[in-house]
This record gives sequence, structure tokens and C-alpha cells, in this order.
Amino acid sequence: MDLIRLRDKYSIVGIGYTPQGRVPERSALSFYVEASANAIKDAGLRGEDIDGLICYRQFQPVANDVAVTPYLLAQHLGIRPTILSQESYCARGQFLHAISLIEAGFCKYVLISYGDNALSGGRSFAKGATNSEPTEDLAAFGESGRVAQFAMAARRAMHEFETGPKTWKEIAVNQRKWANLNPIAEMYDEPMTYEDYGNSSWVVEPFRVYDCCLVSDGGRACIVTSTERARDLRQPVVTIMGIGEHNPSVDIHQSDFMAGPTGAKAAGKTSLDMAGITIHDIDACEIYDCFTYTVEITLQDYGFFGPGEGKDWFKDGRTAPGGTMPVNTSGGLLSEAYFMGMTPITEGVMQLMGRCGERQLGAATGTKEPEIILCSDNGAVFQSFASLILRRL
Amino acid sequence: MSNGRPLPKPNADTAPFWEGCQRQELRFQKCLQCGTVRWPPSIICPRCHSMDTQWIVACGRGVIYTYVVYHVAFHKAFQGDLPYVTAVVELGEGPHILSNIVNCAPHELRCDMPVEVVWEKVIRQFTLPKFKPVRGANHDTGSGT
Repeated sequence: MDLIRLRDKYSIVGIGYTPQGRVPERSALSFYVEASANAIKDAGLRGEDIDGLICYRQFQPVANDVAVTPYLLAQHLGIRPTILSQESYCARGQFLHAISLIEAGFCKYVLISYGDNALSGGRSFAKGATNSEPTEDLAAFGESGRVAQFAMAARRAMHEFETGPKTWKEIAVNQRKWANLNPIAEMYDEPMTYEDYGNSSWVVEPFRVYDCCLVSDGGRACIVTSTERARDLRQPVVTIMGIGEHNPSVDIHQSDFMAGPTGAKAAGKTSLDMAGITIHDIDACEIYDCFTYTVEITLQDYGFFGPGEGKDWFKDGRTAPGGTMPVNTSGGLLSEAYFMGMTPITEGVMQLMGRCGERQLGAATGTKEPEIILCSDNGAVFQSFASLILRRL
Repeated sequence: MSNGRPLPKPNADTAPFWEGCQRQELRFQKCLQCGTVRWPPSIICPRCHSMDTQWIVACGRGVIYTYVVYHVAFHKAFQGDLPYVTAVVELGEGPHILSNIVNCAPHELRCDMPVEVVWEKVIRQFTLPKFKPVRGANHDTGSGT
């Protein structure tokens, strides 16, 4: 595949934030709408410019909320896009779809959006679930979703190579240090020591609370357009230098990729080949981190270290502020907020735009001035994987 | 009574499996073209796409491919079971199925530990296949786990 012709051809031009963390008395839809409107404004665009609208998956609505659809979001934004899309099963093709629509000529500005009220609404991906009445046969065995399913993968990895809490505590602590520099991170005011990690309670062993991502209220949105158009817009130009996707698809219980190689390997290679670079050219990473182990296996499959070498690789703050390979500089899903792949990808864009304040890569944090950032997104349980390489022009 | 526990909901694809469980038989589909024994049930073989299929009864033995220990009950009916174990069991015939490991302390479990099926009647209509370690089996104690 000759994807190199698409290198740097498309850019991410506006980022929309909302209040985040615990934000009660708000519908999921309200976060989608606010994030989307802010992304449009941030880019210097008008609503009518948006001709493509792609929503991430909306989970089961809480309480009396309505299910968010692109119809509803378009109505509330007062726009009538050419294309509407929403995936319903956690696949991670949003950015590749956006680029394809623009490349084919159907769209000029594609808005990608996500929002949720999971924390105040009591829906949980981690613990304290109040409305997760299971519907699958597996529930008869007490099987309850994502924590256990990723924990199963992590346990298998512990069997196949040397990993476990010694590796994962480094990931959790390093990311928390980034969150402590990020005023909008849910864990901004809460430092974490190795002891804190070790003392945090088990959820589904081998995962402790601090191995698991946060549950958040809030939203995040961004806009994809051509780099040619991006040059005329408000923000510094950040291109998609490379992009790759891979969908192993098999349910985790039948999978043979619990301990890798996950989709990160193939998707990562596609994105690197398109960008014409190797991982040695990467200045920082923003990795989808639903669990600590997800960060380890993703970076391992990308080729940053060999199986089991993560135990030493993450040591001495390599991925923390001041480290040689910063990872998840907002605090990530573990310590900033959970907005699916929008948390890592928008952070990569903001870093390259130079808009990250106290946590800004470069002199402010004793790290390398970033030119190229590798981002990942992961859907379901290693069933879908997207890799994006972002570049500051 | 199921004590409020969720029960399987057999559909056109999975009904033969659950009917087998009622008879304490672990039934899987075997492809008559390439011999692959598959799970979950399907109209075709995922390996060769043949529709030529027969249901076989598995031997009920396998190894623990992976396992986890629940310390939080996400469904209140399992609160009294904590800590409990779910595992993926790799059956001798090949399929990987999710179940519980019983008759064993969680800290004694290891990946690749040999296990065999035990049947647990939940209510009159449903019997669940669970697994217990094969005592005295010669197995790797799982260094590094």
C-alpha cells in the first residue's frame, strides 16, 4: 500500500474541551454538544463548515438520558452535515474514516466527538457499577466486563514473559506525575507513590484500583481537515503524518493475542511506514491506557522494548516529566480523564501546538521539544487498534 | 433457585450447547471438512468456511489458559462468592471457554494447570460447566506467575 502520498496531507485543527471530572446534573449529550462547539470555535470555523460528523460509541444511557446519536448532535449544533457516522461496538476507525471522506472529496471538515456522564450517572467501566445488568451467557459465571477481561490478558502475559505489578506501578506513578502538572486532570491534586500503588485495593486480580482508568463526566472533540486548509486556520498546524489500523476482532476469551502481538504491531507498522520514520524518530507517546498493562503491551508491540523488558524500561521515570520518552503527558485515562481515544489523541495535538502550560513538553518539563508524537487508540479488548503519528509542521 | 444470578439465554446458535450441559455433556461443533473444533457455535467453520458440521462431546479436560480473581462483585448476586475466580479453559479438543475454577484456593492457581469439568446445577433448567484442578497431575508450577 502506497500510503506515503497521504503523509502530512491531513491535519487536526481544533480541540474542544468541556468541564470534566465530576460534573453533576449534565446529560451525556450536553458534553458532546459543548465539546463539539468548542472544537469548531477553537479551529476558527463556523458550524456550517462542518460537513462530516463522527461520534464515538455511546454507552447505555444513564437514568433518563436519551441515547446520543449523530442526528441529535447535529440538531443541537444546528448543522446539516453531508456525512453522519457513529460506531456502536468500540472499533477505532474514526480518524481513518475522516481522512478517507476528505480524500475522496465528500467532506472538507470532519468533526469527531465524544462525551459522557459516566461518573455522575453511576455507570462504570471499572468499579461500583450500578446499572450493568449483564445480558450475555458469561454473566452466569460472574464475568463482568472490561476490568476482568483485560486482567485475563495481563495474567496470561505474566505467564508468557516477565511482567506484573513491578512494571505496572512504574507506569501508574509516571503518569500520575504528568497529571499533577495538569490542572484539569481528575488526579491533579493527588500525588501517587509506589506505596500508594501497592496499597490500593484489588479490583480484579492482578489489577488494583490504580491499574484501572478513571470514570469521567465530560467530553472532547476535534476537527480533521486538509493541511492546505489548516494553514489558513487559527491554530498551529499539526498534521497526521502516519495512520494505521488493525482489527484482530476475536473476543478476548478466544484470542491468541492476550500477551501480544496485539493490533498495535500491525497498525503501528502501517503508520510508521506511511510516515517514513521509525520509532527512534518519536519524541513522545500518547497511548490509550484503559489499564496499565495496555500501555506496556502497546509500547512493547510498537517495538520500544522486547517482551518483559518493560520492567526496566519504565524505571527511573523514563516516561515521566523529565524523562527521555514522555508517555501520556496529560495523565492519560489513568489519571486525567476517560474520553476513549480522544484523551490521548487530543493531548498529542495540544502538545504539538504548544498549548499545554505547566505540562508542556520541552524546556518547561525538562524534555525534548516535540516534533513527532505517536498516539494510539484501542477498542474493546484488544479487538480494534488505531495508531496515529502526529507532527508539528 | 438461581439466587438472583444471571442465567444463560440460549439462542438458536447456543441452544445445543446448553442442552448438552443439562445432560452433563460438553458439546462443541466439529468441522467435518478440516476437523477444527470451534467455539462459539456458528453456521460455518471459521477456518475453512465449510457448513458440514457435527456436534461432538468433549472429554472435559483441559488447562487453565488464564484466570483472574474478583475482589469486587459487579453483580450483587456474586457478593457472597468473593473472592471468586473466572478463567479461560483451553479444552483438550481446542476451544477456549470461560468458566469458574472451583475446589481450589485462588493463590494456588497457575496458567497451564490441568483441570477437569465439574457440573453445577443452578436451577432445574440450567447446569453450568465449571472446572477443578486435576489433583496429582504433573504440571508446571508456573514460575513467574
